[in-house]
Amino acid sequence: MRDQVPILRMGNDLLITLQGDLDDATVEHIEQVVTREVARASAAGALIDISGLAVVDSFVARVLARLVAMVRLLGAEATIVGIQPAVAITLVELGVPMGHVRTALNAEQGMAQLRGVRDESTSR
Amino acid sequence: MGLLYRVTSPPGRTVAGSWRGARRAEPAMAPRANGRGAVMGHSALATVGAASIQRLVDSITDLALIQLDRNAVVRGWHAAAEALTGYPASEAVGEPITLLYTDNDVAARRANADQRAATETGRHEFRGWLVRKDGARFWASVTFSPLRDDAGNPEGYLSVIRDLTDDRAGELALLSIEQMVDAITDYEVIRLDPDGVVRSWSEGARRLKGYSEEEIVGRSASLFYTEQDSRAGVLSREMETAARAGRVEAEGWRVRKDGSQFWCNMIMSPIRDAAGELLGYVRVGRDLTDQKEQTRLLQRQREEILELSTPVIQVWDNVLVLPVIGTLDSARAARLTESLLDRIAQIQAEVVILDISGVPAIDTDVAQHMLRTVEAARLMGTTSILSGVRPETAQSIVHLGIDLGTLRSRNSLKDALQLALGLVGAASSDRVSFDA
Repeated sequence: MRDQVPILRMGNDLLITLQGDLDDATVEHIEQVVTREVARASAAGALIDISGLAVVDSFVARVLARLVAMVRLLGAEATIVGIQPAVAITLVELGVPMGHVRTALNAEQGMAQLRGVRDESTSR
Repeated sequence: MGLLYRVTSPPGRTVAGSWRGARRAEPAMAPRANGRGAVMGHSALATVGAASIQRLVDSITDLALIQLDRNAVVRGWHAAAEALTGYPASEAVGEPITLLYTDNDVAARRANADQRAATETGRHEFRGWLVRKDGARFWASVTFSPLRDDAGNPEGYLSVIRDLTDDRAGELALLSIEQMVDAITDYEVIRLDPDGVVRSWSEGARRLKGYSEEEIVGRSASLFYTEQDSRAGVLSREMETAARAGRVEAEGWRVRKDGSQFWCNMIMSPIRDAAGELLGYVRVGRDLTDQKEQTRLLQRQREEILELSTPVIQVWDNVLVLPVIGTLDSARAARLTESLLDRIAQIQAEVVILDISGVPAIDTDVAQHMLRTVEAARLMGTTSILSGVRPETAQSIVHLGIDLGTLRSRNSLKDALQLALGLVGAASSDRVSFDA
């Protein structure tokens, strides 16, 4: 998984795809790559697609929340997309606090959502 | 000379000997060499050491030695015999051995049968009740060995009587445990050795598995397992767990002698001696096939009912309605969550309407289930709308202190649908506020 964090640039947004298993080293690597890319591209938004993750547990949930916080600190909005039914149930059962994390069904809707947030904040 | 006899010992071994030679045979055989019996035989003992042998014989206190002639009349009476039966030698000698027998045994001509058996086989033992002089009965082992003179002619019998009253109590206890085990016909109660080889079998086991005791004792208990379980080493795992944890309970398909299978519930515990050394295992098994079938049927019916009771209806392109009807228990709520989320993923629904107008009462548990479902749906990126909240439901939700968070609610399904269509159709800017 090292050096294999596919990041796609779509206009002002980045699409970050997470895959496989996450361990401490991988997470560190992802955080580095994502923050670097967001800063470098001055991205307005970041979509994190987790439909390719093998396991989503409380560790991964914390990682996601952290990633979202980092993206926000860099002045971009973040949305997580691709949470599967079983994953959603697990996260709720585990009681993982995900209240502040924005989610969307898929990349397309996530993108629309990010644009919506931007429109709203610029019109304010 | 009357000092040498040929006595056939139990396994058919022929021992020839005098008092001295008799030392090679078991002590119980010793006085047979004395032609006239232990008590009255002093004068007949001419060989060197005879006196000391006599002392040895006399010092035997837990075996009573009796010499009988060919007609089973007492000719020699051992000191221990007096102690055991209460008859002194003076009263016993000259009387038939049946003096000690119960009336029943006398009537059954038991003595004749015993002598015949002794003559034919070289040694005969019976266990049964004997009667003391005072009329009290005691449980005894009586052995008969034929005595022959030098020419090999039968001269009489040596009878050894042992009081087994104490053993009898143990024997009875053992017997009653066996009987108890055999009386349990609905369960199999069997014993395995540490290697999993069957060492005891019971009536219940025979009924359950079809093997008779002769067929199965000595064979591995892995015969009872399906080929797959047998290969997977289920039995050794069970034994290992039992030895480690002190008990193992397992359920699974097991195989009868005829190859048919049954659902077996089995409990196995290790048997250890006082030092803690593993002696084997006791296994109690039970046929639960009927219950299993019933449980399966119930389970299936339950699933069907759950399926029917949690319909998820697609009312618009990206809008689902979940009408909740009846009481929600945790199984139903879990099922409801599951089918809703699957459906969301399937049609990529953006809005879900949870209609609770059919729910008679909302308590904390039900509310928690609903909220968890809403949260899971939100994580997937779907907005939920609550509809059909009745006035009393609204009161109880607030009174119970249930926080519905940002969940939007509409009074009727119609209003909820309107809101949903608005969310779906409207610019996405409307759809961002649910985490605020």
